[in-house]
Amino acid sequence: MELYKQVLKQTVTYRLFSSIIDNIKDFSETMGNITICGIKTLKAVIKGEMSLKELIEQCERFGISSLPITLSIVGMTTIIIVSQIAQEMVKQGGGNMVGALVSILMVRELGVIMSGFAIISMIGSSLASEIATMRVTEQIDALRTLKVNPFGYLFAPRVLAGMIMMPPVVIISSLLGVIMGAVTSNMVSGLSYRAFFDSLWLGIFAKDLFVCIAKAFFFGGTIALISCSFGFHAKGGAKGVGLATTGAVVWSFVAIVIIDMIFAIGFFF
Amino acid sequence: MGIEVKNLTKIYGEKKVLDNISFKVKDGEILAIVGFSGSGKSTVLKLISNLVEKDEGEIITSEGDIAFVFQYSALFDSLTVYDNIAFALHERKDLKKNFTEKEIAKIVKEKLELVGLKGIENLYPSELSGGMQKRVSFARAIVTEPEVILYDEPTAGLDPIASTLIEDYILRLRNETKATSIVVTHQMSTIKRTADKVIMLYDGKIVFSGTPDELENSGNEYTKQFVEASIEGPMKILA
Repeated sequence: MELYKQVLKQTVTYRLFSSIIDNIKDFSETMGNITICGIKTLKAVIKGEMSLKELIEQCERFGISSLPITLSIVGMTTIIIVSQIAQEMVKQGGGNMVGALVSILMVRELGVIMSGFAIISMIGSSLASEIATMRVTEQIDALRTLKVNPFGYLFAPRVLAGMIMMPPVVIISSLLGVIMGAVTSNMVSGLSYRAFFDSLWLGIFAKDLFVCIAKAFFFGGTIALISCSFGFHAKGGAKGVGLATTGAVVWSFVAIVIIDMIFAIGFFF
Repeated sequence: MGIEVKNLTKIYGEKKVLDNISFKVKDGEILAIVGFSGSGKSTVLKLISNLVEKDEGEIITSEGDIAFVFQYSALFDSLTVYDNIAFALHERKDLKKNFTEKEIAKIVKEKLELVGLKGIENLYPSELSGGMQKRVSFARAIVTEPEVILYDEPTAGLDPIASTLIEDYILRLRNETKATSIVVTHQMSTIKRTADKVIMLYDGKIVFSGTPDELENSGNEYTKQFVEASIEGPMKILA
Protein backbone atom coordinates (compact mmCIF):
# COMPACT_ATOMS: atom_id res chain seq x y z
CA MET A 1 0.00 0.00 0.00
CA GLU A 2 2.84 2.36 0.96
CA LEU A 3 4.66 1.57 -2.29
CA TYR A 4 1.47 2.15 -4.24
CA LYS A 5 1.11 5.59 -2.64
CA GLN A 6 4.71 6.46 -3.48
CA VAL A 7 4.28 5.42 -7.12
CA LEU A 8 1.01 7.34 -7.32
CA LYS A 9 2.74 10.49 -6.05
CA GLN A 10 5.25 10.27 -8.90
CA THR A 11 2.60 10.29 -11.64
CA VAL A 12 2.06 13.39 -13.77
CA THR A 13 -1.70 13.37 -13.09
CA TYR A 14 -1.20 13.32 -9.32
CA ARG A 15 1.35 16.12 -9.48
CA LEU A 16 -0.87 18.16 -11.77
CA PHE A 17 -3.88 17.82 -9.46
CA SER A 18 -1.89 18.45 -6.29
CA SER A 19 -0.41 21.55 -7.92
CA ILE A 20 -3.93 22.76 -8.84
CA ILE A 21 -5.12 22.13 -5.27
CA ASP A 22 -2.09 23.99 -3.85
CA ASN A 23 -2.81 26.93 -6.16
CA ILE A 24 -6.46 27.00 -5.10
CA LYS A 25 -5.37 26.97 -1.44
CA ASP A 26 -2.88 29.82 -2.04
CA PHE A 27 -5.50 31.80 -3.95
CA SER A 28 -8.10 31.35 -1.18
CA GLU A 29 -5.57 32.28 1.51
CA THR A 30 -4.50 35.42 -0.36
CA MET A 31 -8.11 36.46 -1.01
CA GLY A 32 -8.86 35.90 2.67
CA ASN A 33 -5.84 37.93 3.77
CA ILE A 34 -6.76 40.85 1.50
CA THR A 35 -10.40 40.81 2.65
CA ILE A 36 -9.47 40.69 6.34
CA CYS A 37 -6.95 43.51 5.86
CA GLY A 38 -9.64 45.55 4.07
CA ILE A 39 -12.11 45.06 6.93
CA LYS A 40 -9.52 45.89 9.61
CA THR A 41 -8.45 49.00 7.67
CA LEU A 42 -12.05 50.17 7.46
CA LYS A 43 -12.48 49.56 11.21
CA ALA A 44 -9.31 51.55 11.95
CA VAL A 45 -10.60 54.49 9.87
CA ILE A 46 -13.99 54.40 11.62
CA LYS A 47 -12.34 54.25 15.06
CA GLY A 48 -10.21 57.29 14.18
CA GLU A 49 -6.93 55.38 14.46
CA MET A 50 -5.52 56.65 11.17
CA SER A 51 -2.35 58.72 11.18
CA LEU A 52 -3.08 62.03 9.43
CA LYS A 53 0.62 62.79 9.08
CA GLU A 54 1.08 59.50 7.24
CA LEU A 55 -1.97 60.24 5.06
CA ILE A 56 -0.42 63.50 3.85
CA GLU A 57 2.92 61.79 3.15
CA GLN A 58 1.23 58.96 1.26
CA CYS A 59 -0.90 61.38 -0.79
CA GLU A 60 2.31 63.07 -1.88
CA ARG A 61 3.82 59.70 -2.73
CA PHE A 62 0.78 58.55 -4.76
CA GLY A 63 0.10 61.86 -6.45
CA ILE A 64 3.24 63.88 -6.91
CA SER A 65 5.99 61.25 -6.95
CA SER A 66 4.16 59.01 -9.38
CA LEU A 67 3.12 61.76 -11.80
CA PRO A 68 6.26 61.98 -14.01
CA ILE A 69 6.34 58.24 -14.76
CA THR A 70 2.55 58.04 -15.19
CA LEU A 71 2.51 60.98 -17.61
CA SER A 72 5.45 59.55 -19.54
CA ILE A 73 3.80 56.15 -19.95
CA VAL A 74 0.39 57.54 -20.92
CA GLY A 75 1.96 60.13 -23.25
CA MET A 76 4.15 57.60 -25.06
CA THR A 77 1.38 55.01 -25.35
CA THR A 78 -0.84 57.66 -26.94
CA ILE A 79 1.87 58.54 -29.47
CA ILE A 80 2.32 54.84 -30.36
CA ILE A 81 -1.41 54.23 -30.89
CA VAL A 82 -2.43 57.53 -32.50
CA SER A 83 0.53 57.53 -34.92
CA GLN A 84 -0.83 54.26 -36.31
CA ILE A 85 -4.58 54.98 -36.40
CA ALA A 86 -4.70 58.68 -37.33
CA GLN A 87 -3.02 58.24 -40.71
CA GLU A 88 -5.33 55.33 -41.62
CA MET A 89 -8.47 57.18 -40.51
CA VAL A 90 -7.56 60.28 -42.49
CA LYS A 91 -6.86 58.12 -45.57
CA GLN A 92 -10.23 56.37 -45.20
CA GLY A 93 -12.03 59.70 -44.85
CA GLY A 94 -12.61 59.45 -41.12
CA GLY A 95 -10.27 62.28 -40.15
CA ASN A 96 -13.11 64.18 -38.55
CA MET A 97 -13.56 61.36 -36.01
CA VAL A 98 -9.95 61.04 -34.81
CA GLY A 99 -10.53 63.39 -31.88
CA ALA A 100 -13.63 61.46 -30.80
CA LEU A 101 -11.78 58.15 -30.99
CA VAL A 102 -8.81 59.44 -28.99
CA SER A 103 -11.09 60.94 -26.32
CA ILE A 104 -13.02 57.66 -25.96
CA LEU A 105 -9.73 55.77 -25.81
CA MET A 106 -8.19 58.08 -23.21
CA VAL A 107 -11.16 58.77 -20.93
CA ARG A 108 -12.72 55.33 -20.96
CA GLU A 109 -9.67 53.09 -20.95
CA LEU A 110 -6.13 54.11 -21.75
CA GLY A 111 -5.71 56.96 -19.27
CA VAL A 112 -6.94 55.00 -16.30
CA ILE A 113 -5.49 51.59 -17.10
CA MET A 114 -2.03 52.85 -18.08
CA SER A 115 -1.97 55.08 -14.98
CA GLY A 116 -2.94 52.01 -12.96
CA PHE A 117 -0.06 50.01 -14.42
CA ALA A 118 2.36 52.87 -13.75
CA ILE A 119 1.14 53.23 -10.14
CA ILE A 120 1.45 49.46 -9.56
CA SER A 121 5.01 49.30 -10.83
CA MET A 122 6.13 52.43 -9.04
CA ILE A 123 4.03 52.77 -5.87
CA GLY A 124 2.47 49.32 -5.34
CA SER A 125 5.81 47.52 -5.50
CA SER A 126 7.44 50.00 -3.12
CA LEU A 127 4.53 49.77 -0.65
CA ALA A 128 4.77 45.97 -0.61
CA SER A 129 8.54 45.88 -0.17
CA GLU A 130 8.48 48.63 2.49
CA ILE A 131 5.87 46.86 4.63
CA ALA A 132 7.43 43.43 4.01
CA THR A 133 10.77 44.78 5.25
CA MET A 134 9.02 46.16 8.32
CA ARG A 135 7.48 42.73 8.86
CA VAL A 136 10.73 40.73 8.60
CA THR A 137 12.66 43.20 10.78
CA GLU A 138 9.97 43.04 13.51
CA GLN A 139 9.01 46.72 13.05
CA ILE A 140 5.34 45.72 12.71
CA ASP A 141 5.60 43.74 15.96
CA ALA A 142 7.17 46.85 17.50
CA LEU A 143 4.12 48.89 16.38
CA ARG A 144 1.85 46.41 18.12
CA THR A 145 3.85 46.39 21.35
CA LEU A 146 3.62 50.20 21.33
CA LYS A 147 -0.16 49.75 21.04
CA VAL A 148 -0.36 51.44 17.65
CA ASN A 149 -2.76 49.67 15.29
CA PRO A 150 -0.79 48.71 12.13
CA PHE A 151 -3.99 48.97 10.09
CA GLY A 152 -4.47 52.55 11.26
CA TYR A 153 -0.83 53.54 10.87
CA LEU A 154 0.20 51.60 7.75
CA PHE A 155 -2.86 50.50 5.82
CA ALA A 156 -5.45 53.25 6.25
CA PRO A 157 -3.27 56.20 5.07
CA ARG A 158 -1.97 54.25 2.08
CA VAL A 159 -5.36 52.92 0.96
CA LEU A 160 -7.05 56.31 1.40
CA ALA A 161 -4.18 58.09 -0.35
CA GLY A 162 -4.64 55.70 -3.27
CA MET A 163 -8.37 56.44 -3.44
CA ILE A 164 -7.89 60.20 -3.10
CA MET A 165 -4.92 60.71 -5.42
CA MET A 166 -5.55 58.23 -8.22
CA PRO A 167 -8.50 60.20 -9.76
CA PRO A 168 -6.51 63.47 -10.20
CA VAL A 169 -3.53 61.51 -11.55
CA VAL A 170 -5.82 59.82 -14.09
CA ILE A 171 -7.51 63.11 -15.07
CA ILE A 172 -4.16 64.82 -15.63
CA SER A 173 -2.73 61.89 -17.59
CA SER A 174 -5.89 61.56 -19.70
CA LEU A 175 -5.70 65.27 -20.52
CA LEU A 176 -2.08 64.87 -21.52
CA GLY A 177 -3.07 61.85 -23.61
CA VAL A 178 -5.65 63.91 -25.52
CA ILE A 179 -3.13 66.72 -26.12
CA MET A 180 -0.50 64.21 -27.28
CA GLY A 181 -3.16 62.65 -29.53
CA ALA A 182 -3.86 66.02 -31.16
CA VAL A 183 -0.17 66.77 -31.66
CA THR A 184 0.58 63.27 -33.02
CA SER A 185 -2.34 63.21 -35.47
CA ASN A 186 -1.34 66.67 -36.70
CA MET A 187 2.24 65.55 -37.23
CA VAL A 188 1.59 62.18 -38.88
CA SER A 189 -1.50 62.93 -40.93
CA GLY A 190 -1.68 66.70 -41.11
CA LEU A 191 -5.04 66.73 -39.28
CA SER A 192 -5.71 70.24 -38.05
CA TYR A 193 -6.03 70.91 -34.33
CA ARG A 194 -9.42 72.44 -34.94
CA ALA A 195 -10.73 69.30 -36.69
CA PHE A 196 -9.34 67.17 -33.87
CA PHE A 197 -10.85 69.23 -31.05
CA ASP A 198 -14.18 69.74 -32.87
CA SER A 199 -14.76 65.99 -32.90
CA LEU A 200 -13.32 65.50 -29.42
CA TRP A 201 -16.63 66.32 -27.73
CA LEU A 202 -18.51 63.75 -29.81
CA GLY A 203 -16.76 60.99 -27.92
CA ILE A 204 -17.04 62.18 -24.31
CA PHE A 205 -20.19 61.99 -22.21
CA ALA A 206 -20.76 62.74 -18.51
CA LYS A 207 -21.10 59.00 -17.89
CA ASP A 208 -17.60 58.43 -19.33
CA LEU A 209 -16.10 60.96 -16.97
CA PHE A 210 -17.95 59.48 -14.02
CA VAL A 211 -16.81 55.94 -14.89
CA CYS A 212 -13.23 57.16 -15.39
CA ILE A 213 -13.12 58.80 -11.94
CA ALA A 214 -14.89 55.86 -10.23
CA LYS A 215 -12.46 53.39 -11.80
CA ALA A 216 -9.49 55.49 -10.72
CA PHE A 217 -10.89 55.59 -7.17
CA PHE A 218 -11.25 51.80 -7.02
CA PHE A 219 -7.91 51.17 -8.75
CA GLY A 220 -6.05 53.37 -6.25
CA GLY A 221 -7.63 51.71 -3.21
CA THR A 222 -7.22 48.20 -4.62
CA ILE A 223 -3.56 48.63 -5.56
CA ALA A 224 -2.72 50.02 -2.12
CA LEU A 225 -4.72 47.38 -0.22
CA ILE A 226 -3.26 44.44 -2.18
CA SER A 227 0.30 45.81 -1.91
CA CYS A 228 0.02 46.46 1.84
CA SER A 229 -1.57 43.06 2.42
CA PHE A 230 1.22 41.21 0.59
CA GLY A 231 3.84 43.15 2.53
CA PHE A 232 2.06 42.54 5.82
CA HIS A 233 1.96 38.78 5.30
CA ALA A 234 5.59 38.46 4.16
CA LYS A 235 7.59 35.66 5.78
CA GLY A 236 11.29 35.00 6.08
CA GLY A 237 14.05 37.39 5.08
CA ALA A 238 15.09 38.94 1.78
CA LYS A 239 13.42 36.17 -0.22
CA GLY A 240 10.13 36.85 1.60
CA VAL A 241 10.35 40.56 0.74
CA GLY A 242 10.95 39.68 -2.93
CA LEU A 243 8.06 37.23 -3.05
CA ALA A 244 5.73 39.73 -1.38
CA THR A 245 6.66 42.43 -3.91
CA THR A 246 6.19 40.12 -6.90
CA GLY A 247 2.87 38.86 -5.50
CA ALA A 248 1.64 42.40 -4.94
CA VAL A 249 2.49 43.47 -8.50
CA VAL A 250 0.95 40.39 -10.15
CA TRP A 251 -2.23 40.47 -8.05
CA SER A 252 -2.65 44.23 -8.54
CA PHE A 253 -2.34 43.87 -12.32
CA VAL A 254 -4.94 41.11 -12.40
CA ALA A 255 -7.23 42.94 -9.96
CA ILE A 256 -7.37 46.18 -11.93
CA VAL A 257 -8.03 44.31 -15.18
CA ILE A 258 -10.92 42.49 -13.45
CA ILE A 259 -12.30 45.77 -12.04
CA ASP A 260 -11.96 47.35 -15.49
CA MET A 261 -13.88 44.45 -17.01
CA ILE A 262 -16.65 44.76 -14.39
CA PHE A 263 -16.99 48.49 -15.19
CA ALA A 264 -16.98 47.78 -18.94
CA ILE A 265 -19.74 45.18 -18.58
CA GLY A 266 -21.69 47.28 -16.08
CA PHE A 267 -21.65 50.56 -18.01
CA PHE A 268 -20.97 49.91 -21.67
CA PHE A 269 -22.22 46.40 -22.45
CA MET B 1 1.32 42.31 40.79
CA GLY B 2 4.23 41.35 38.53
CA ILE B 3 3.61 38.53 36.08
CA GLU B 4 2.00 35.16 36.64
CA VAL B 5 2.00 32.48 33.97
CA LYS B 6 -0.18 29.43 34.57
CA ASN B 7 -0.13 26.21 32.53
CA LEU B 8 0.88 27.98 29.34
CA THR B 9 0.93 25.93 26.15
CA LYS B 10 1.75 27.05 22.62
CA ILE B 11 1.69 24.82 19.56
CA TYR B 12 3.09 25.80 16.13
CA GLY B 13 1.87 23.34 13.52
CA GLU B 14 2.55 19.96 15.09
CA LYS B 15 5.30 21.16 17.43
CA LYS B 16 4.52 21.95 21.05
CA VAL B 17 6.84 24.91 21.60
CA LEU B 18 5.67 25.46 25.20
CA ASP B 19 4.23 22.61 27.17
CA ASN B 20 2.18 23.55 30.21
CA ILE B 21 4.69 25.91 31.83
CA SER B 22 4.00 27.99 34.94
CA PHE B 23 6.08 30.63 36.70
CA LYS B 24 5.71 33.84 38.67
CA VAL B 25 7.72 37.09 38.66
CA LYS B 26 7.23 39.41 41.61
CA ASP B 27 6.74 43.16 41.24
CA GLY B 28 10.02 44.87 40.33
CA GLU B 29 11.87 41.57 39.98
CA ILE B 30 14.05 40.58 37.00
CA LEU B 31 13.57 37.05 35.71
CA ALA B 32 16.02 35.58 33.21
CA ILE B 33 14.77 32.90 30.85
CA VAL B 34 17.59 30.77 29.50
CA GLY B 35 17.90 27.79 27.25
CA PHE B 36 19.33 26.74 23.93
CA SER B 37 17.99 28.07 20.62
CA GLY B 38 14.53 26.81 19.77
CA SER B 39 13.60 26.06 23.39
CA GLY B 40 10.64 28.49 23.36
CA LYS B 41 12.18 31.43 25.26
CA SER B 42 11.18 34.18 22.83
CA THR B 43 7.73 32.62 22.44
CA VAL B 44 7.10 33.23 26.16
CA LEU B 45 7.77 36.96 25.65
CA LYS B 46 5.60 37.09 22.53
CA LEU B 47 2.75 35.44 24.41
CA ILE B 48 3.02 37.82 27.37
CA SER B 49 3.03 40.83 25.03
CA ASN B 50 0.12 39.43 22.96
CA LEU B 51 2.15 39.27 19.77
CA VAL B 52 1.05 35.65 19.43
CA GLU B 53 -2.02 33.96 20.85
CA LYS B 54 -1.74 31.23 23.43
CA ASP B 55 -3.32 27.84 22.89
CA GLU B 56 -3.88 27.07 26.56
CA GLY B 57 -3.17 28.59 29.95
CA GLU B 58 -3.36 31.95 31.59
CA ILE B 59 -1.13 35.04 31.75
CA ILE B 60 -1.81 37.58 34.48
CA THR B 61 0.11 40.87 34.39
CA SER B 62 -0.11 44.34 35.88
CA GLU B 63 -2.71 46.54 34.21
CA GLY B 64 -0.19 49.02 32.79
CA ASP B 65 1.77 48.90 29.57
CA ILE B 66 4.02 46.03 28.58
CA ALA B 67 7.17 47.18 26.79
CA PHE B 68 9.14 44.93 24.47
CA VAL B 69 12.81 45.35 23.57
CA PHE B 70 13.49 43.36 20.41
CA GLN B 71 16.59 41.29 19.71
CA TYR B 72 17.59 43.44 16.72
CA SER B 73 16.10 46.64 18.18
CA ALA B 74 13.30 46.86 15.55
CA LEU B 75 13.64 50.65 15.36
CA PHE B 76 11.56 52.29 12.62
CA ASP B 77 14.30 52.83 10.06
CA SER B 78 12.51 55.61 8.17
CA LEU B 79 12.15 57.71 11.34
CA THR B 80 14.76 59.65 13.30
CA VAL B 81 15.77 58.68 16.84
CA TYR B 82 13.48 61.43 18.14
CA ASP B 83 10.47 60.17 16.17
CA ASN B 84 11.20 56.59 17.20
CA ILE B 85 11.17 57.43 20.89
CA ALA B 86 8.22 59.81 20.58
CA PHE B 87 6.32 57.35 18.36
CA ALA B 88 3.79 56.12 20.93
CA LEU B 89 3.18 59.69 22.16
CA HIS B 90 2.57 60.89 18.60
CA GLU B 91 0.56 57.96 17.27
CA ARG B 92 -1.18 56.16 20.12
CA LYS B 93 -4.83 57.08 20.21
CA ASP B 94 -5.04 57.30 24.03
CA LEU B 95 -1.82 59.31 24.38
CA LYS B 96 -1.47 61.63 21.42
CA LYS B 97 -3.75 64.34 22.75
CA ASN B 98 -2.16 64.35 26.21
CA PHE B 99 1.17 65.95 25.29
CA THR B 100 2.32 69.09 23.52
CA GLU B 101 5.34 68.81 21.22
CA LYS B 102 7.39 70.70 23.80
CA GLU B 103 6.50 68.13 26.48
CA ILE B 104 7.26 65.28 24.10
CA ALA B 105 10.67 66.78 23.33
CA LYS B 106 11.39 66.96 27.07
CA ILE B 107 10.35 63.33 27.62
CA VAL B 108 12.46 62.14 24.68
CA LYS B 109 15.48 64.00 26.05
CA GLU B 110 14.96 62.50 29.52
CA LYS B 111 14.61 58.95 28.22
CA LEU B 112 17.67 59.31 26.01
CA GLU B 113 19.69 60.57 28.98
CA LEU B 114 18.46 57.65 31.05
CA VAL B 115 20.10 55.28 28.57
CA GLY B 116 23.25 57.41 28.40
CA LEU B 117 22.69 59.07 25.04
CA LYS B 118 22.62 62.75 24.19
CA GLY B 119 22.30 64.89 21.05
CA ILE B 120 21.42 62.05 18.66
CA GLU B 121 17.75 62.97 18.23
CA ASN B 122 18.12 63.87 14.56
CA LEU B 123 20.08 60.80 13.51
CA TYR B 124 18.51 57.80 11.78
CA PRO B 125 18.89 54.26 13.22
CA SER B 126 21.24 53.28 10.37
CA GLU B 127 23.67 55.96 11.57
CA LEU B 128 24.00 54.36 15.03
CA SER B 129 26.10 51.44 16.29
CA GLY B 130 24.37 48.21 17.38
CA GLY B 131 24.74 49.10 21.06
CA MET B 132 23.34 52.59 20.53
CA GLN B 133 20.39 51.21 18.56
CA LYS B 134 19.68 48.87 21.43
CA ARG B 135 19.76 51.74 23.92
CA VAL B 136 17.45 53.82 21.72
CA SER B 137 15.06 50.85 21.68
CA PHE B 138 15.22 50.84 25.51
CA ALA B 139 14.32 54.53 25.51
CA ARG B 140 11.43 53.90 23.08
CA ALA B 141 10.17 51.03 25.25
CA ILE B 142 10.06 53.05 28.47
CA VAL B 143 8.50 56.20 27.04
CA THR B 144 5.01 55.07 28.12
CA GLU B 145 6.16 54.27 31.70
CA PRO B 146 5.49 50.52 31.40
CA GLU B 147 4.82 48.21 34.34
CA VAL B 148 6.50 45.30 32.58
CA ILE B 149 9.58 45.30 30.32
CA LEU B 150 10.41 42.27 28.19
CA TYR B 151 13.93 41.99 26.75
CA ASP B 152 14.54 39.53 23.92
CA GLU B 153 18.26 38.70 23.91
CA PRO B 154 19.32 42.28 24.65
CA THR B 155 23.05 41.59 24.37
CA ALA B 156 22.96 39.43 21.23
CA GLY B 157 25.50 40.52 18.65
CA LEU B 158 27.21 43.07 20.91
CA ASP B 159 30.84 43.12 22.01
CA PRO B 160 31.57 42.34 25.71
CA ILE B 161 31.88 46.00 26.73
CA ALA B 162 28.66 47.02 24.97
CA SER B 163 27.01 43.97 26.58
CA THR B 164 28.11 45.08 30.05
CA LEU B 165 26.73 48.55 29.34
CA ILE B 166 23.39 47.10 28.26
CA GLU B 167 23.26 44.94 31.39
CA ASP B 168 23.87 48.07 33.50
CA TYR B 169 21.01 49.83 31.73
CA ILE B 170 18.66 46.90 32.35
CA LEU B 171 19.36 47.27 36.07
CA ARG B 172 19.13 51.06 35.88
CA LEU B 173 15.76 50.93 34.12
CA ARG B 174 14.43 48.52 36.72
CA ASN B 175 15.58 50.82 39.50
CA GLU B 176 14.20 53.96 37.82
CA THR B 177 10.91 52.57 36.53
CA LYS B 178 10.29 49.83 39.17
CA ALA B 179 9.08 47.71 36.28
CA THR B 180 8.90 43.93 36.43
CA SER B 181 11.28 42.55 33.80
CA ILE B 182 11.91 39.35 31.90
CA VAL B 183 15.20 38.95 30.07
CA VAL B 184 15.64 36.18 27.51
CA THR B 185 19.33 35.47 27.14
CA HIS B 186 22.02 32.91 26.42
CA GLN B 187 24.76 34.84 28.18
CA MET B 188 25.90 33.88 31.69
CA SER B 189 27.19 37.42 32.30
CA THR B 190 23.74 38.87 31.64
CA ILE B 191 22.13 36.31 33.95
CA LYS B 192 24.63 36.90 36.78
CA ARG B 193 24.63 40.69 36.54
CA THR B 194 20.93 41.34 36.06
CA ALA B 195 18.66 38.51 37.17
CA ASP B 196 17.03 37.91 40.53
CA LYS B 197 15.64 34.59 39.38
CA VAL B 198 16.27 32.24 36.47
CA ILE B 199 14.21 29.62 34.71
CA MET B 200 15.62 27.30 32.11
CA LEU B 201 13.55 25.94 29.24
CA TYR B 202 14.21 22.84 27.22
CA ASP B 203 11.84 21.27 24.73
CA GLY B 204 9.02 23.57 25.86
CA LYS B 205 9.29 22.63 29.55
CA ILE B 206 10.89 24.31 32.56
CA VAL B 207 13.85 22.13 33.54
CA PHE B 208 15.27 24.48 36.20
CA SER B 209 14.03 27.30 38.38
CA GLY B 210 16.16 29.13 40.93
CA THR B 211 18.64 31.94 41.50
CA PRO B 212 21.64 32.70 39.25
CA ASP B 213 23.94 31.15 41.90
CA GLU B 214 21.85 28.00 41.97
CA LEU B 215 21.99 27.84 38.18
CA GLU B 216 25.77 27.70 38.35
CA ASN B 217 26.08 25.39 41.31
CA SER B 218 23.10 23.05 41.26
CA GLY B 219 23.72 19.46 40.33
CA ASN B 220 20.95 19.67 37.71
CA GLU B 221 22.29 17.98 34.59
CA TYR B 222 20.54 20.46 32.30
CA THR B 223 22.00 23.55 33.97
CA LYS B 224 25.40 21.87 34.14
CA GLN B 225 25.37 21.33 30.39
CA PHE B 226 24.21 24.93 29.82
CA VAL B 227 26.77 26.53 32.15
CA GLU B 228 29.60 24.43 30.73
CA ALA B 229 28.32 25.03 27.19
CA SER B 230 28.83 21.34 26.59
CA ILE B 231 27.50 19.38 23.64
CA GLU B 232 27.39 16.31 25.90
CA GLY B 233 24.33 16.09 28.13
CA PRO B 234 20.59 15.54 28.19
CA MET B 235 19.84 18.44 25.83
CA LYS B 236 20.07 17.85 22.10
CA ILE B 237 21.48 20.90 20.37
CA LEU B 238 18.91 22.27 17.92
CA ALA B 239 20.98 24.98 16.26
